[in-house]
Amino acid sequence: MSFIHLHTASAFSLKYGTTQPADLVERASQLEAPALALTDRDGLLGAIRFTKACLKYGIAPIIGVNLAIDLQNDLQKSRIADDKKLPRLTLIAGSDGGWRDLVRLMSSLNLSTGAPVLTLDFLERFSQYTQNIYVLHGLDSPIAPAIAAHRNDSALAIFNKTRTFFKAHAIECVSHLAKGDGPGSITHAGRSLIFARDHDIDAVITNAVRMRGPEDAPVADILDCARQLVPLHPRHIKRTNAEAYLKSTPAMHALADEIARAGGERNARALLFTTRAWAEQTLLSPTRDIGLGSIHLPEAHVVGAENAQQMRALLRQRSEAKINWRYSGAQAVKSARERLDDELATVATLGYESYFLTVADIADMARERGIRVSARGSGAGSLICHLLGISGVDPLAHGLLMERFCSPLRRALPDIDIDVESHRRLEIYDLVFKKYGDPRWDIPGNQSRCATVASFDTYRTRQSIRDAGAALGLPAAEINLIAKSPYGLREKNVKTPLAKMVITMARRLEGLPRHLSMHPCAIVLSDGGLLDRVPLQLNASGYPMVEFDKDDVEDIGLLKLDILGVRMQSSISYALTEISRVHKEEIDIDAISLDDPHTYELIQSTKTIGIFQIESPGQRELVGKLEPQTFTDLIIDISLFRPGPVKSDMISPFLKSRHGWSARKIIHPDLHKILRDTEGVVVFHEQVISIIATMTHCSLAHADEMRRALGDREGQQRVCDWFYPAATEHGYSPEVINEVWEVLRAFASFGFCKAHAAAFAFPTYQSAWLKTHYPAAFLAGVLTHDPGMYPKRLILDEVRQMGIAIAPLDVNYSDQSYRVEVREDGTQSIRIALSTINGISAEEIKNIISARPYKDLADFYYRSGASQPIIESLILTGAFDRLHALTQDGLLNRRDLLLHLSDLIKGPTMSSALRSQMTLGFDAPALESSGLPDLVSSEIVAHEVQRLGMDITHHMLEFYSRFLNSIGAIKSSDLLSVRSASTVLVAGVRASIQTPPVRSGKRVIFLTLNDGYGCSDATFFSDIATEYLSTIYTSEIVLLRGVTRRTGARGISIRATGIWDLRAAYEKWNSQQSTLAI
Amino acid sequence: MAPAHIRAQIAQPGEVLADGTSGPIEFSFGGRRFRIHAVLSRWCEAGGWWNRISDGNFHPDDQARAVWKVEAAPIGTLQTFELERDDLTGAWIIKAI
Repeated sequence: MSFIHLHTASAFSLKYGTTQPADLVERASQLEAPALALTDRDGLLGAIRFTKACLKYGIAPIIGVNLAIDLQNDLQKSRIADDKKLPRLTLIAGSDGGWRDLVRLMSSLNLSTGAPVLTLDFLERFSQYTQNIYVLHGLDSPIAPAIAAHRNDSALAIFNKTRTFFKAHAIECVSHLAKGDGPGSITHAGRSLIFARDHDIDAVITNAVRMRGPEDAPVADILDCARQLVPLHPRHIKRTNAEAYLKSTPAMHALADEIARAGGERNARALLFTTRAWAEQTLLSPTRDIGLGSIHLPEAHVVGAENAQQMRALLRQRSEAKINWRYSGAQAVKSARERLDDELATVATLGYESYFLTVADIADMARERGIRVSARGSGAGSLICHLLGISGVDPLAHGLLMERFCSPLRRALPDIDIDVESHRRLEIYDLVFKKYGDPRWDIPGNQSRCATVASFDTYRTRQSIRDAGAALGLPAAEINLIAKSPYGLREKNVKTPLAKMVITMARRLEGLPRHLSMHPCAIVLSDGGLLDRVPLQLNASGYPMVEFDKDDVEDIGLLKLDILGVRMQSSISYALTEISRVHKEEIDIDAISLDDPHTYELIQSTKTIGIFQIESPGQRELVGKLEPQTFTDLIIDISLFRPGPVKSDMISPFLKSRHGWSARKIIHPDLHKILRDTEGVVVFHEQVISIIATMTHCSLAHADEMRRALGDREGQQRVCDWFYPAATEHGYSPEVINEVWEVLRAFASFGFCKAHAAAFAFPTYQSAWLKTHYPAAFLAGVLTHDPGMYPKRLILDEVRQMGIAIAPLDVNYSDQSYRVEVREDGTQSIRIALSTINGISAEEIKNIISARPYKDLADFYYRSGASQPIIESLILTGAFDRLHALTQDGLLNRRDLLLHLSDLIKGPTMSSALRSQMTLGFDAPALESSGLPDLVSSEIVAHEVQRLGMDITHHMLEFYSRFLNSIGAIKSSDLLSVRSASTVLVAGVRASIQTPPVRSGKRVIFLTLNDGYGCSDATFFSDIATEYLSTIYTSEIVLLRGVTRRTGARGISIRATGIWDLRAAYEKWNSQQSTLAI
Repeated sequence: MAPAHIRAQIAQPGEVLADGTSGPIEFSFGGRRFRIHAVLSRWCEAGGWWNRISDGNFHPDDQARAVWKVEAAPIGTLQTFELERDDLTGAWIIKAI
């Protein structure tokens, strides 16, 4: 009979186990085991993927957890306990309900004590969750040392402490063939067996597994060190040999024989029989117990209905109520009604009413609080989502299909993601938890319907090099050098055998989970039974969090809602409040017309910096070529700008046909309507679905299934076998079918979900519209919320380019954020925000603003509560210039103010509380001119860069203008007048670097420079990139040589052939100049 | 015959006779052939692989070592005797078989 391992740690015993659950299951299946247990340390993190793997390999899952236990009952101590000191027990879920108990037990443990450490108090309080749990007392158990010390009486006393809890107990006899007679030796295993027999306790044999095979032992050692933050040394290594692996049945039977004989038994029959019996009592059903493949949505009463029937009626009623608001005209209303009926029928078949109503409820809650919400992803394809206000895009107008999102042929829950204002995202979390959650974790049996989702941080290259390097004792500087080397250069820095070993071991760590963190945006919503199915813990932000990741929670049918914080939504919202404050205009940005010609003109001009999605160098190039004229064009633009279409060159045929350089090619008139907007090129998933449905007369849902199948080779063959006869039957000629099939096959995998692109295009258009009509308010929002890829200094430059003035910092006018100011002559300016100052705290900003106005520096010093370094920064960045009229009479300057500040500080010392009470009549030190010269402009810019992180009054490049003119460098604004393929010199401050991953492994770097006149975009291909790598990454201001390439009517890019640090180049030139002069 | 001070040596091929499953049975040591009469204990050892990195040839799989602690005697030195005591007188008679 095959042996069943009851004690197995996977890599989800973080920094302890060496093997992924699926790999353990695969090995168990090779060993022909009928079942396998997963008993990870401290949590159930790997349970779902383990169960899935078991299902795949036809093995029955057994699930438990290995937990530390503190028998002293001292909670304080147990919280700080480290894993070396506390003994451990292995708890296994019994069949029929044990999983529920184990999950509840883990959640209670995590949420009520803060650390996964059992205590007797805790077991007492939550004893109802121990009823169906089996316990193994093994190598690390509290009794093991007593047995090793021949103290069977005290071992029994310890054992009896936990005996009243749990369904059954067994002594775990483990032989790792360790030397001597301690835990892990044959002798100890034999004595444990004798102890069990003497006291009538069950005895089982396990191998306390933490590796798939002995070859993983060095990985286990590195993990032991990484966990304890120590270097490799026998003292820190738990193991003395490599026996703790998944052994075969004959090997385990031989061990059992040996242990039985050491325990005074004739053979291992009894030991193996009990082990088998325990396994049989703890087998779980992947579907019934774990819940794979089931779906659990919030109940009817949660969404305001009494039963499923009412819920259905409610969804219809709420959707229909909005038809007349969204659509006008009899024809439009009629087709919307038809579409709605279809969608509602699908939803009813699937029973997803609660899903839509819950998401709509959350969107409503957010909107009531004035938080902007917009759907992203395929959800935009559903008319219900549009009518319920979840998505702003009209699916009928843009040919978006419900079937791409949700179909009766697919039992997986559809995904709705919503974008919200990033700085208010947690407000929405709070609303959701208030409505759907229940924080009374100390009450057994409490119900909660929502939680955040975990994500497993896995070892990536850098982290694994750091951990392996530290364990192997590589010097920190060398670890840093290797870890930070970009790919390709790493091997150059690896010379010593030790460093080579670090790399080898680091590779073996890669992919192992190392840390549990919160998924950045997902929450799950479910029915009242959520806590019976998933273990929770409190995450760092204080929200309950499921210990499973996003794929796991989908596998067990929990509604996952991604609430993404999008800075652009914050920026848009900010712009709208500025417009309302300054212009007294209320704009409903979600209802603006989508065909404003001025907005498209701005986009076509490629002056798109700050606009959502289309501000990157590559996108600026693409919008320059594509020249979007309609919202559909924007959707196409966003869909084309992805690695797939770029690589397979879908763009050229599209652009050629678009500009009339080649005839549009449409294979068959029936497909004309589907492919018209995209010049005959298949761009969208929706088009693939429609083509299949049109040519075979199958349902859209079925066509979507076929589209999904096209993703892999096997599926392609299946679809091919079906498509040819089906299309032939509907009268298409073999030539047409052939041609269509080729297109489907080639482009299906590159296609993009149009609903997704449309959902993205919406905020793109909104931000472009704002930039067109209210540039000051829009850019103030961009400066405040920093939504894009560019540094603030570049956005400031954009402000100037748009003809908007920049108002300097001023203690009496600057606000917490960037404000629009309208001058007397009607021109607008943007006031630099106080929050720009490095090191200023929110509290300081609040105090400064509330004590306004100030009459002079002394007044500010006494009443604002700002710290000395902040006041110095304010002086040096000109925030007092106006108050003291510095620039006008020229008598006083910033240096005088600094001296004055130090006089003030040297004056009578007072607490800040006293300072604020000072009457204005207090005799402050006098402010007088010291006669020192004022700061020169280069000093001013230096202070701005140092204290604000950007240059405001002068562009950094101004100081090099003489040099740049003399060497013939070209302004970025003049680049367009340069002929293609000519060699140019440009200079600028580094604005962005992008290194998109390239499949070939060849490195391409995109560098954007800003020179105060605009941006120039340069591309480094691999050989040049490698040669100039350090300059590209380390120099802030550079001089670049390259060859121009026209990319469209308004686009030009530079293929770089060299790059140098501008300061160094200038110094060299300067010294040559002076030598020449002599 | 090897000198008496030898405490450890590396066995030549074929010098240790072992059974595939239950371990060693006979071995040569100091020029004499020993037979194992009892296994006192056995264990496995591994680890310390990080000390063997510096030669540059080390592969990161740990070499395991199996150890048997045994009682053994040179072949032929083990003899069978019959020891007989007369219950009346308490005298012993020893017979080599």
